[in-house]
Amino acid sequence: MSSATGSSLSTVWHRYKQFRNESYATPLLLGIIFGILIVLPALLEVSIAGYSLGTRVSLGMLIVTLVWAYTAQSWNIMSGFTGQFSFGHAAFFGLGAYGTILLVSNYAINPWIGMMVGAVLAALYGLLIGVLCFRYELQGHYFALATLAFAELLRFIINNIGALGGASGFIKPLPREYADGPGLLAFQFSTDLPYYYVILTFLLIVTVVAFVIRNSRFGLYLFAIREDENAAAAVGIPTFKYKLAAVAVSAFFTAWAGAFWAMYFDTIRPDTVFDLLINVEILLPAIVGGLGTVIGPILGSFIVTPLSEIARQSLDLPGTDRIVYGLLLVLIVLYSPKGVVSWPKRLADLLGWQESPTDEDAVDETRN
Amino acid sequence: MVSTSILAVSSHLSPGIVATAVGVPLQSGTTIVQLLVFALLLGGIYGLVALGLTMIFGVMDVINFAHGALMVLAMYIVWSLSSASGLTPLVFIPIAVVALFGVGILIHHFTIAPIMEAPQENQLIVTFGVMLILISSIEIAFSPNPRSYDIDLGSVGAAGVFIPEGQLYALVISITAVIGMWLFLQRTQLGRAIRGTADNRSGAKFVGINIKRIDYLTFGLGAALAGLAGAAIPLIQRFDPYIGDVYLINAFVIVVLGGLGSFPGALLGGMIIGFVQVFGQFYLPGSFYQVMIFMIFILVLLLRPEGLLGGKRT
Repeated sequence: MSSATGSSLSTVWHRYKQFRNESYATPLLLGIIFGILIVLPALLEVSIAGYSLGTRVSLGMLIVTLVWAYTAQSWNIMSGFTGQFSFGHAAFFGLGAYGTILLVSNYAINPWIGMMVGAVLAALYGLLIGVLCFRYELQGHYFALATLAFAELLRFIINNIGALGGASGFIKPLPREYADGPGLLAFQFSTDLPYYYVILTFLLIVTVVAFVIRNSRFGLYLFAIREDENAAAAVGIPTFKYKLAAVAVSAFFTAWAGAFWAMYFDTIRPDTVFDLLINVEILLPAIVGGLGTVIGPILGSFIVTPLSEIARQSLDLPGTDRIVYGLLLVLIVLYSPKGVVSWPKRLADLLGWQESPTDEDAVDETRN
Repeated sequence: MVSTSILAVSSHLSPGIVATAVGVPLQSGTTIVQLLVFALLLGGIYGLVALGLTMIFGVMDVINFAHGALMVLAMYIVWSLSSASGLTPLVFIPIAVVALFGVGILIHHFTIAPIMEAPQENQLIVTFGVMLILISSIEIAFSPNPRSYDIDLGSVGAAGVFIPEGQLYALVISITAVIGMWLFLQRTQLGRAIRGTADNRSGAKFVGINIKRIDYLTFGLGAALAGLAGAAIPLIQRFDPYIGDVYLINAFVIVVLGGLGSFPGALLGGMIIGFVQVFGQFYLPGSFYQVMIFMIFILVLLLRPEGLLGGKRT
């Protein structure tokens, strides 16, 4: 027994530990997080003692943060839950962007329809990748490299086909060209605030989906596959089918972010949406936050994205944001491989509140 | 970033321009010979890059995303030393190789060694982080503008085929390095220890090989090979901080094609991709050769994931 047991902070920790083991803990924490996110744009305006958050953090930055939180949540369903490490989610992101922009630019088809077309295409492409890779039992490095190759393949195909915009890509059409004007139906707004709530809604949807999957039989099977695929197959889980389902769901939702990207930014080029770095930006928040958890990707994105954005803005040197990004990658993997969600427990271990570091009753971070 | 075209051969130019760019009158026979020379040259450079990558993979089971960045680092080391001293860049290539060996050891010590036992993704992410840091630092220090070595080279020719001297040097460098590496791995005690560790890590440990030291050596050598290939590339084309990406991605293809961890496979794969790229650039529109390269990659992954010479993961 630690001597610090009697201290009040230690009591707080034990309360927290008890709370985390309750079944309502994660939904409650998620509710609090989304509550904060809903009022966050308004908080930017509030100034306390002459200092307001808005001077450092812009709404645009928050939108990008939510985009990567969203993609990380989608990526996590496949790679965090099922353990099939994808290094090519830019393929799905890009398909979402291109499905949307192609249809709206060439045929004036509503971007919401384009988004669903892109999402279905992405899910099909994911199934194709999955069928081919899982059929031949590609794992680990081979699987990661194969997914990367499938993403790069799309980049070079689009780069070389003029009908798909070629290397110069597309410029987002004006909302009047396919709808009555800016608004929800046109997926284009004249200010940033509606975009913020659109991507927040996306994040809410995918978070609910991830949470439901995680607490279902489906999720249980996925985690069994992650822990030991052979054992999972031995107890009768059809691992092939479930891995495919995870890929399809993950790809489907990742494409939404691409569609959002296409309608939020002015131009879409193959070398931006299929870029090598996009693969990393998609998965990093999940790793920083905590692989396989539902809260992790959101927390992770709020650490990673603003940091590199602030670095870019305040240092005014192109490239510094990527140095910060690179440093984060290295430091997180070296010092916090279990992610932000493990920090409370690590703090408790550090201060000796935990009965023993290997305490079996300790909070199981993977429950977040 | 637009895919950087390798060699003077750019498919965006018409075949006639390609031929004149290398100083050859357009005759189909000599054009083919010329393209074969290019392919051999590019294949040799690819072989070098892939050899370093596949060594690190075979011995340590690590995919080194920083490999392309290490190539770029070597280019800028040679370029800055040469422009500062006014001497020919050729004399600085060995210095860059030694420097890269040291950089490799440092990277291994600070980022890979502490997490050798962690899941595979962790090492992949760490090396990606190192890549971002290296490339962005180079970009800040040297600006993203394309550069070239300050070296004036003529060309040597025989039987109607002319080879620019820069390419000849690059070819000689890569062939010498490949043979040297081959002899080292096959004929020396240390080389055998490296191959033994690649074959069977725990087995190597049991027969008394210090695998931790082998890891350091392997990563250092892998970085040095990347450095050599990188330092040679500006002899045949202009370079910028992002040129490593294209080589890195193609090196992955080559390594899988030849068999992850297979040394002869890396050289064979390098040659194959060198030929596909040079002939593809010449005969196919745009950068379709890259589409072909990825198609080959995916086919190999699916039909023979152990690679052409991979055997049963030796």
